[in-house]
Amino acid sequence: MTLRTYILTRIALTLPMLLFLLTLVFVVMRILPGNPVLLRFEKNANPALIAEYTHRLGLDLPLWQQYLNYLDELLHGNLGLSMVTFDPVASQILARFPATLELTIGAFLVAVLVGLVFGSTAARRPGSKTDGAVKVYGILIYAFPIFFLGMILQLVCGVWLHWLPVAGRMPQGVIPAGLNWGSIHIQTGLYTVDSLLAGNIVEFFEACEYLLLPCLTLGLVISGVFVRMTRSNMLETMKMEFVTAARARGLKDDTVVYGYAMRNALLPIVTIMGLQFALLLGGAILTETEFNILGLGSYLVDRINFRDYTAVQGTVVFLAILISLVSLMVDVIYAYLDPRIRL
Amino acid sequence: MAKTGEEAETFGFMPRVMGAVRSALGPGSGRWFIVAGTIIVAFIVGMSLLAPFISPHGPTELFVGPDNSPPSSSFPLGTDQYGRDMLSRIIWGGRFMLLVAVTAVILCLAVGVPIGLASAYRGGSLDKVVSLVMDSMYAFPSLVLAIVIIGVFGVNAINEAIAIAVVYVPSYYRVIRSQVLTIKELPYVEAAKSIGGRSGHILTTYILPNILPSIVVVATINFADSILTTAGLDFIGLGRLDQPDWGVDLFYGRAALPIGAWWTIFFSGTMIVLSALGFGLISEGLAERAGRE
Repeated sequence: MTLRTYILTRIALTLPMLLFLLTLVFVVMRILPGNPVLLRFEKNANPALIAEYTHRLGLDLPLWQQYLNYLDELLHGNLGLSMVTFDPVASQILARFPATLELTIGAFLVAVLVGLVFGSTAARRPGSKTDGAVKVYGILIYAFPIFFLGMILQLVCGVWLHWLPVAGRMPQGVIPAGLNWGSIHIQTGLYTVDSLLAGNIVEFFEACEYLLLPCLTLGLVISGVFVRMTRSNMLETMKMEFVTAARARGLKDDTVVYGYAMRNALLPIVTIMGLQFALLLGGAILTETEFNILGLGSYLVDRINFRDYTAVQGTVVFLAILISLVSLMVDVIYAYLDPRIRL
Repeated sequence: MAKTGEEAETFGFMPRVMGAVRSALGPGSGRWFIVAGTIIVAFIVGMSLLAPFISPHGPTELFVGPDNSPPSSSFPLGTDQYGRDMLSRIIWGGRFMLLVAVTAVILCLAVGVPIGLASAYRGGSLDKVVSLVMDSMYAFPSLVLAIVIIGVFGVNAINEAIAIAVVYVPSYYRVIRSQVLTIKELPYVEAAKSIGGRSGHILTTYILPNILPSIVVVATINFADSILTTAGLDFIGLGRLDQPDWGVDLFYGRAALPIGAWWTIFFSGTMIVLSALGFGLISEGLAERAGRE
């Protein structure tokens, strides 16, 4: 299989998956009678107004018609208007997304670091006390609700020690400007990147300070899974002949474990970690709520309460596409780096 | 699981269950995980069952003491912002979560096991379609699906259990499917087919018993996951806010954090960690015993 057919097959498999998710959410959202119009006006609005809004939102059409209309719009790249605020859903999602992206990338780095260090240490001597301790760490951290760990960190580092800010992304009213160079204007919405583009080092460190606790919280909770993955992958690799050969040549233990086994196990390990993007996004919802970060997760929670059909559908579609894209990218890079898996 | 001669002699449901429990707690790899997990789970289940008898106050009784008072001799775990006794709320707070978890696991077993068995055993286009549906659900953040379902249908034990079941059935499906795919090629299954055994008979008598250990491992970790998911839903406000519940305590306790009222979240959070940890330990121990690393 060439790389191109591989990619095309993967995309072909992704489409029915998206359609299924979309349909599921569409149906679930519409099963209950409570609709956005009624929630907006409560019970005392005049029937004519309700009818007008219902018509404007296309909610008076039969369900299958609504569904087809929505799919049609979606195929044209249109996520529709919010049913509550009448703003385009796509622009609302894009406004919220950078905060989530920044959080997940930071958390991913924390989790990879902890995962690699702990996992490889445990795999050096399977069955030893260290291995047992790492295993217990993995189970224990997995048992932590993300928001509980977040609260403890907020309490200790914020409320008691006053080390770090505990909510939001920046002090009130501060938004890093991004790059303004003649007619070129770049603003990514990622505060760390924007402050660097604007050349404002103070703001950059400030943005990092705000990011630290949320990223640590999400990263540590996810790290339990990563530790386990690293450990089992390293154990597999350590059983291979080239490791035995390296040992037979009398190389130092450190060289064998990190120079030989780790170097070879690293690629599959990071690949599997990259495929856990969905796990990160799920955790991001709770982390954003806990740290008052206006990201996609808090957007979703917020919109659900208003029965804002289009906004919720849009978010789900966006997340699903994002997850498929990331896992496709990870797979393709892996296939490119390691030709064996394309066979 | 290898059966000793003594175990093979015992028939009937209860003796077999007791035998399985005895062999799970007995010596062997993963023993300490299983024992520690069982002690924790037994403690939490016992406390929840005995709640009406051991709780010093009503868990929802307002102003039995001053509000936000730290742990003291009259209120060992302090009181929350409405002057409710934290100790009583802790004692009562696990009941709903455990109920949801048990219901969810039963639902998952009832749906996931037959689908996994049938899909893998039949193969063909049925297997392809079911796999695709399951994979698309598996690839999606479970909490998002749970939020959508609970957000729309409203909070009660059955809805939460359904939301959790929808989210976790794919995990059961994957484990069962991969195992059945291996086992159905084994000579003894071929032999059963060749003497004309019906599919249903082969599945229940020859295949199901051999994948039971793996199902138990998934089910125990499902308990832990379902407790964490319920707590997550509570925390974002999709819980029964008027009931004693550890997750709901965290939802309210958040507001008291800035004044440093750590007792309003610490004990409830610890209880959630303990419950998930208990089931996680059992699952890990059983997995080790079943020889999976």
